[in-house]
Amino acid sequence: MTYSGEHLLIGQLGNTFTILAFAFSFLSMVAYFLADLKKDDQYLRIGRIAYLAHSISVIGMVATLFAMIFNQYFEYHYVWQHSNTEMPMKYIFSCFWEGIEGSFMIWTFWHVILGLILFKSVKSWEAPVMSVISAVQFFMLTMLLGVYVFDYKFGSNPFIMLLREHPDFLGLPLFNNPDYTEVIDGRGLNPLLQNYWMVIHPPFVLFGYATAIVPFAYAIAGLLRGKFIEWVRPALPWTFFGIGVLGIGVLMGGAWAYESLSFGGFWAWDPVENASLVPWLTMVGAGHLMLIQRKKGVSVFSLFLMVTITFCLVQYASFLTKSGVLGETSVHSFTDLGMTAQLAISLLFFIGLSIFLIVKNFKKFPKQDREESSTSREFWMFVSALVLLMSAFIISFSTSFPVINQIFGTNLATSGERIDYYNQWLTPFAIIVSFLVAIGQFLSYTKTDMPRFWKRLSISLGLSVIVTVTMSYSMSIYNPIYVVMLLSTSLAAFANLDYWARILKGKIKGAGPSIAHFGFGLLLLGILVSTSQSTVISSNSSLYDISVLGDDFDNNENILLMLDDTLIMGDFLVAYRGKRSEDNFIHYQVDYMTMNEKGVLELDFSLYPFLQLNPRMGNVAEPYTKHYAHKDIYTHISYAELEDKDAKPTSEEHSIVIGDTIFTRTSFMVFDSLDRNPQSSFKGLSENDLAIGAHFTLFDVDTKAHHLEPLFVLKDRQYSMTVPDSLSELGIKIGFEGIDPEKENFKFRVVEDQPKFNDFIVMKAIVFPGINILWLGCLIMGLGTFFSVIQRIRRN
Amino acid sequence: MKKSHIALIIVIAILIGAMVTAINDSSSYADFSEAFSEPSGEFHVVGKLNRDRQMIYDPVSNPDEFIFYMTDIKNEEKKVVLHKSKPQDFERSEQIVLIGSAQGDEFHANDILMKCPSKYQDGEITAKDQSQI
Repeated sequence: MTYSGEHLLIGQLGNTFTILAFAFSFLSMVAYFLADLKKDDQYLRIGRIAYLAHSISVIGMVATLFAMIFNQYFEYHYVWQHSNTEMPMKYIFSCFWEGIEGSFMIWTFWHVILGLILFKSVKSWEAPVMSVISAVQFFMLTMLLGVYVFDYKFGSNPFIMLLREHPDFLGLPLFNNPDYTEVIDGRGLNPLLQNYWMVIHPPFVLFGYATAIVPFAYAIAGLLRGKFIEWVRPALPWTFFGIGVLGIGVLMGGAWAYESLSFGGFWAWDPVENASLVPWLTMVGAGHLMLIQRKKGVSVFSLFLMVTITFCLVQYASFLTKSGVLGETSVHSFTDLGMTAQLAISLLFFIGLSIFLIVKNFKKFPKQDREESSTSREFWMFVSALVLLMSAFIISFSTSFPVINQIFGTNLATSGERIDYYNQWLTPFAIIVSFLVAIGQFLSYTKTDMPRFWKRLSISLGLSVIVTVTMSYSMSIYNPIYVVMLLSTSLAAFANLDYWARILKGKIKGAGPSIAHFGFGLLLLGILVSTSQSTVISSNSSLYDISVLGDDFDNNENILLMLDDTLIMGDFLVAYRGKRSEDNFIHYQVDYMTMNEKGVLELDFSLYPFLQLNPRMGNVAEPYTKHYAHKDIYTHISYAELEDKDAKPTSEEHSIVIGDTIFTRTSFMVFDSLDRNPQSSFKGLSENDLAIGAHFTLFDVDTKAHHLEPLFVLKDRQYSMTVPDSLSELGIKIGFEGIDPEKENFKFRVVEDQPKFNDFIVMKAIVFPGINILWLGCLIMGLGTFFSVIQRIRRN
Repeated sequence: MKKSHIALIIVIAILIGAMVTAINDSSSYADFSEAFSEPSGEFHVVGKLNRDRQMIYDPVSNPDEFIFYMTDIKNEEKKVVLHKSKPQDFERSEQIVLIGSAQGDEFHANDILMKCPSKYQDGEITAKDQSQI
């Protein structure tokens, strides 16, 4: 069967680029390795050409896949799976890296870019460094090959997997149509990813991951050449560059979660988030060990360990997210493509290589002859690197439960209160690290003059004590651990600011570390304040007492708002004002009001949390947040009825005498009198009929009176019949059903419509105080890090 | 003995302590029979929503209570009381993980994880215009 309308050429082009990129990475790796081994310039030249050819091929791959998504060639499985015609063009980037293949492609692309910059700057280290980079690229490209070797499929290739050849769709009658490309549409992008943060966050984190390759390549090169010290100088600025990029990338993930996910926070300790945080922690440790080594030439072994661990943790992060091992424990892992074994082999290769080279050279590492003083800067920097490594290990251990379960057949699961669990564990580490960050720069290398140290630190210490006391008093933070953390983080902020202002005299030159550390202090302070002080205000005016269920069930966090009802919530009065549909979004308007001095309600602001409807991938609730300088008010829809449900009217029988009152849900009506000669508008009466009317006066909620007159009719004086009267604006209908002559009472039936129950929302609202300290801290930290990188590059 | 050696020993001690506590603090995956045999313990129970049984969500009386029936992997069915609002798109879930503990005949869950058909249904391809397939 021949198909018209398929664009097979572009796929072949992409596939050619893939094969070339793969082959040239291998060639480049081998040639560069031989060049270093044999000190032969011939090999070096081959290596260079191979690496350039490899780079061009990778860039070609990226460009081809973009072109395929941009032109919506749905005959390709990847394009079909991640995009569709309805999707706004601005999300084309998100489509690109939604799948494993695209995300690997971007990653290799960043490696190529870094490699091309290194190419120019590595000089004498070129051969071994580029050989390591090519080796990493070689492993990554196997993930994109999509070839079968003895029944085992290596990688997944987006250029050759056609929709009609995909195992899920074989033999589909649709493909009997030679023009099928004319009619198909893509499956579309996951609604969670249709968000501006998702356009920039993944490539940023992947860029951060990619930067780990540079110190790793230098470290391996140093081990291969037996030069254990010299590699640190060129690798150092790269490491801090990586710290800046990955740090911002990780927090961008937090910002995405905070702005558009509805779990209510910026950090959920999700395995994928953890996997990106952990390499950052060890990268920071590695960077600081490099500083020690540059100054004192010590901690060779620890540095090699920390650098290789960082790289392996990055690979491990990729393994966790891409292998499918996390399964149901994470919201944002990829779907399993059956590459688990391949990913594991690649990870084990780099772990094995690192261990082998470190063990082989261990005896040759320069040993430290002199004991460092416990007041020296290098000692405490070493301790902070260890603390970072420990916290990385603790996070990794619990995150790895799914992996441990797979290997050992255990049933471990992280505790239900995952966020509390990690927060509890890491608070002590945060305290230690922030104290060290505070004192670090005031300590001198080799030995510190302690009286001078205390004198210099005293102002910051005083200020932070004052801040701690005021804040803990005004925000009622009395938990001793939190008070200590308040002190340590504010000290970290003040001490570094003070160091910059008084000791560096406010100059930009050399201020990088102080600024970065100041930002780090603010960041931790922001985390502490916003996390410990965040309050779910939607629980306060609940309609139902959940505590009867027992102390365990205190998660009474949602409020039900009927349309236009006003309820008290925290410091506000809130009302749900209605919804508005727009494309596949439903926006709900929630008004936040406060009472002014005159007792009149005033609108403070309106929030529009929304639901994104996606029939194929599930509906997604996205929050809406009111930002103030000192706090945020975050609101999201927990539940809303999407379909109109018909509420059944109630029907009740009443036996009453004249003068009685019937109460209904919205009104009451008085049975005034009987009328043997009713003047009803009912036309179906004839002369033979006997009709009796009942006069009712109905008072509605505004005590407005209405008149109702239902009739009881004996048709031809034989058959009883009832002619009800109704009041449509209240949805009330009353029927005269019978007369009991013995008891002298009358039977009426009142039917009343129930209000439509679909117009309500169940909503959750959280106040996050001080969250802007966190974001500000992050920005300042990134800025400071880049300052120091520039400084280092200049100095080199 | 050097200070760095002492530091390393402290680090190792803390790490071993941390691992032991992490394992003790952890909950575990189980089926209903295990969870109900140990009512005090917290468990993660994997199963499927029973769509034939009634689901009760009455936000007017309590927006934080949702009742449904789940069948675990061993086909044992239990009434589940979730102390949260009804998750969006609950009916579409393919697999659910409950986190909570047994109380009497009911399983009380404090949290829920759902696996929705984030993948396409096998063999289903949409057309730009439905009439054309």
